[in-house]
Amino acid sequence: MSITVRGISKRFARFAALDSVDLDVPHGRLVALLGPSGSGKTTLLRIIAGLETPDAGSVHFDGRDISDQTTRERRVGFVFQHYALFRHMTVFENVAFGLRVRPRGTRPSAQRIRERVGELLELIQLGSQAGRYPSQLSGGQRQRVALARALAVEPSVLLLDEPFGALDAKVRLELRRWLRALHDEVGVTSVFVTHDQDEALEVADQVAVMNAGRIEQVGTPDEVYHHPATPFVYNFLGNVNLFHGRVDDGVTRLVREATGHLVFIRPHALDLARQPNGANTIRAVTKHIHAAGPVVKVEAVTEWGAPVHVEIGQERLRELSLQKGDEIFITPRDVAVFADD
Amino acid sequence: MTRVSWQFRKRSIIPGFGLTLGFTIFYLSLIVLLPLSATFVQTSKIGWQHFWHVVTTPRALASYELSFGASLIGAFLNFVLGTMVAWVLVRYQFTGKRLIDSIVDLPFALPTAVAGIALTTLYATTGWFGHPLSSIGVHVAFTRLGVIVALTFIGLPFVVRTVQPVLEDLDKELEEAAASLGASRWQTFARVIYPAIFPAALTGFALAFSRGVGEYGSVIFIAGNMPMRTEIAPLLIVTKLEEYDYGGATAIAVVMLLLSFVMLLAINALQRWSGRREALAGG
Repeated sequence: MSITVRGISKRFARFAALDSVDLDVPHGRLVALLGPSGSGKTTLLRIIAGLETPDAGSVHFDGRDISDQTTRERRVGFVFQHYALFRHMTVFENVAFGLRVRPRGTRPSAQRIRERVGELLELIQLGSQAGRYPSQLSGGQRQRVALARALAVEPSVLLLDEPFGALDAKVRLELRRWLRALHDEVGVTSVFVTHDQDEALEVADQVAVMNAGRIEQVGTPDEVYHHPATPFVYNFLGNVNLFHGRVDDGVTRLVREATGHLVFIRPHALDLARQPNGANTIRAVTKHIHAAGPVVKVEAVTEWGAPVHVEIGQERLRELSLQKGDEIFITPRDVAVFADD
Repeated sequence: MTRVSWQFRKRSIIPGFGLTLGFTIFYLSLIVLLPLSATFVQTSKIGWQHFWHVVTTPRALASYELSFGASLIGAFLNFVLGTMVAWVLVRYQFTGKRLIDSIVDLPFALPTAVAGIALTTLYATTGWFGHPLSSIGVHVAFTRLGVIVALTFIGLPFVVRTVQPVLEDLDKELEEAAASLGASRWQTFARVIYPAIFPAALTGFALAFSRGVGEYGSVIFIAGNMPMRTEIAPLLIVTKLEEYDYGGATAIAVVMLLLSFVMLLAINALQRWSGRREALAGG
């Protein structure tokens, strides 16, 4: 089922959480709402779910306006950051809840409920934990139960609010790959909220980057990462160095003083050399070299005192035999220029 | 090997176990156990046969029935209505909410005799409530119904005050999750909220019940105190004291003590049973 959001606005007291937001989620896609806290992403998700009412605008499922429907009528699966499992129910009962509360006419038989819950528990690889209580599970397991519970009612869309936010780094990584695989298997239209750009870029088909109640850019992870539409998107998706620049004959020169143009350069789009290399080179001094890990992170300071982050390969570090305090020359390979306003 | 004698005590990182346990036992003994054991000692003086005779007179039996029966009914009414009051106070915003919130504590604060007189005035056949009620044939003052009314009144704060904090702590997301899974408001209450507040409501029930069993001041005015009909057990004890029948008074006290103890133990067991899963969930 596709989701269409048109002109949604929402204010909390004096704070505009959402400002006339449009969004299209095609059928069967997994879309990430990515943004810093306070950007309105969770509010947008809750409005799609019907847990929050917008001040203006409408929400459509498959082109049908469902703005006036309650959460219950929308049949959305919602997964909460803190799981919101029913503590007094076993894993089995939690997953079965949505089936058990159906009106008698459409409620599956006890036998059918058992089968369905069994299938879902297999899907989340917790078949052996059916009789346990949520408190006896790890965070990752709880969130998988919450997912199975949401999927049990065969929701029209699946909405996940920072689903991995409360988990530790390793489990997060594992679970988000698992979510991607699960989505490929189940294929239900899904929207998930995250403030973690790696998570959004890795899991989603499409990423909607949000800032201050607006959507800045929607695109595939590739598009938003490599062709950011706004300085905010550039800044938010990964580390970036910010320079003032002047554009002469299509060549961007990095300069010290403000020029009206901002130049964004990713740390891995900078080259280091011992000797000046062409005109567009800035002189700097290394401050720190972090060599642990696949890439070497070099922190340097330009001759006018601005910090620069550069990422180079381990081999390049050996070639340069770089030491702390060395004078180096930095050449940008790939830049993005935005007007400074 | 040297520590074997202290094995019942689990090693804890928090210091002061010996001191605090010692103080707790001393305090409980001084304030609770000593007076209670005095009751038993006093009773033992009258001998088993006399004891049995005193505590099984029809008048005594009727008073136990009234005291425990009315307390149970009152506690049950509070269990339902108190939960509702707590619900309203937690869930809705309205003007005068703080006022209502403090009114809930009035039955605690009011001298019980004042409560008794006020209730009697209201429910007497000439009172504001009593008059219309008596015209449809319901008599409250000076009947067993009056005893229930008084015990319901004084027990109200208990359930409200035990359920209120639990409701306040209840995660709103649980209800949102239930709604997204298709549960109606009623199903959400019955299957999600109620199980969460049940142990607390049961605690309130036990407290209201205990208070009701021991209640004296507010009941004696409205009850009319007719032996065999509206005489509560505490009043019977006072009557016996006034007749200088200390043995008889403490005999009935002992019976009430044992009955209360058994009932509280039963409520506790029920609570433990219902709270078992909650305890698991607390981890």
